[in-house]
Formats: sequence, C-alpha cells, structure tokens
Amino acid sequence: MKRDKKITQLAKNLVELSKEDGLVTEARVVEVLAGLKQLRHRSYLIILKTFLVRLRRELALQTAVVSTPNILSEETLDKISAKYSAIYGRTISAEVQEDTSLIAGVRVRVGDDLYDASVAGRLQRLADCVG
Amino acid sequence: MKAFNIFLIFAIFLSFSLIAAPDSVAGTMEGSQEVAVDNKITMITDKFGVSVPTLIAQMVNFCLVALVLYYFAVKPISATLEERQQKISDGLQYAEEMKTQLAEAERERTEKVKQAAIGAQKILAEAREQSKEMIEVKTQEAAAQAEAIIRKASEATELERQKMLADVRQEVARLVVATSSKVLSRDLSDAEKSTFSESAAKELAS
Repeated sequence: MKRDKKITQLAKNLVELSKEDGLVTEARVVEVLAGLKQLRHRSYLIILKTFLVRLRRELALQTAVVSTPNILSEETLDKISAKYSAIYGRTISAEVQEDTSLIAGVRVRVGDDLYDASVAGRLQRLADCVG
Repeated sequence: MKAFNIFLIFAIFLSFSLIAAPDSVAGTMEGSQEVAVDNKITMITDKFGVSVPTLIAQMVNFCLVALVLYYFAVKPISATLEERQQKISDGLQYAEEMKTQLAEAERERTEKVKQAAIGAQKILAEAREQSKEMIEVKTQEAAAQAEAIIRKASEATELERQKMLADVRQEVARLVVATSSKVLSRDLSDAEKSTFSESAAKELAS
C-alpha cells in the first residue's frame, strides 16, 4: 500500500516534470522517459503504467475534444479554446474529431465534462424528457 | 355396681345391728317388759335354732366371702363392665361425631359442588365471552388483511400500469428520436449542417 502511494506520487511528479508552461509537451515527456530509463527503478514497469494513466488524464484535462460532423473554422476553434481556458483556469487546446452520428452541431469534452450542442444530443435530451 | 355396694354395706350393718340389739335392749329395758322381750328373743332363737356364735361366724364368713367376691370377681367384672361401657360410650360418641362429620362433609360437598357449578358457569361464560371477542378480533384482522392485500394488489397494478406507460413513452420517444435523426440526416444539406455546427460552436464558445 505504501509502495503504491510512493509510485503514484512519483508518477504525479513525472507528469509535473512533463509540463512546459502548464502544458504537457512531447519533448518534455521524451526527456522524462529517458531519465526514468536511466534511473533503473525496480518497479519500472508499474511506474510507467501509472505515469501513462496520469499523463492521459492530464492530456484530457488540457484538451477540448470538439466532435462535429462538419469542418469548423480556425477562428471558431480558437474561440472554443479561449473560452474553456478561461473556464478551467489553464491552457486548453481544441482538437477536432469528426462524428457523423451527431447529425449537425458540436459536442465538446474536457476531461470528464461534456458540453453538447448537437442535433443528436438535443434529440436525446428531448427523448429523455418525454420518456 | 353402686347398688351392689350399698346392698353389701346394708347387709353388714343389719347383721351388726342384730348382734348389738340384745345388748342395747337389755341395758335400757326394765322390769317385766325387759323379761318379756328377752323371753321372746330367746324363744325365737331357740325355735329357729340360731346361736350367737354361729351367727357371728356366719357373718364373718359372709363378710370374708363378700370381700373376696368383691375384690376377685365383682371388681374385675365391674372394671370390665366399665371399660365396655366406656367403649360403647366412646363408640357411640365416635359414631355421633362421625355422623356429624359426615353431615358436615356432605354439607361441604354440596357447597363445593354448588361452588364448582357456579365456577363452571363463570368459566363457561368467560370462555364464551373470550371466544366472542376472539372471533371479533380475528374477523377484524381478516378484514384488515384482505384490505391490505387488495391495497397491495391495487398498488402493484398501478405500478405495473405506470411502468408500462413509461416503457411505452420511452419507446415512442426512442422511435421519434430515431425517426427524426434519420429524417434530419437525410433532409439537411451539408451547408445547413455546417451552418448549424458553426452556430452551435459559437454558442458553446460565447
């Protein structure tokens, strides 16, 4: 149990080390991984797995996944990025993901939070209200 | 027994009187009277062949026999008779007591039978009352249970109906959504979809 806590704390520190100006960057992650390899820790694999989980969570938190069936303009994406950066108080980049099941509209996911303005979502909410 | 004793004493007293009589008569009478009496007694005794020593001896014998008989025959017989008498008296008394006790026992038995009958009547009445109350309580319980069962059945039916209605509503909504989705997907042009998407994105960004 104590060992798990230590590994979790180490993974957390590694994620912090992977950030540059509050954002996780590929270059810093590569550096961290290289350092970890040199460290030759006996629980290397477990640390790596924990680090990966935390890194994914961190990336999800600093990325706004914008799902839409259409192509959005850069200006709109920038606005979305700025809006959610302001809401969460950290730099959040927008990443577009095509989803034709939405019919039309946009759905934004930041971490575990979901913002829906799609036709499919509205229809589903309507169905939920009626049902 | 007392009569026999009195008779014995009287006989002894009479004998001594007879013995003493000539002496006392002789001492008190005077003259010719005294002589006449003396002659009469002498004449009687002579005529009957009574002599004073024989009479005294016979009296002594009689007394001795009487004493012997008294101590060895009369007294034991008397004791036996008294004992018998006592036993008979005790027996009679005992019989009388038994009779009294029997009467008392009979009276008590009658009283107890009467009390038992009264008690039985009372218990019977109580039992009847209790059975009546129990029947009433059970009837009420049965009615309450029946009512509860009916209420539960009614609630279950209502719940089932609500569930069915919800299911139907959900199914209808699902069908409406599915149909609407298909219709919108087919009927909306790409330009319309794009415009709607931009508008929605701006809405989320604003």
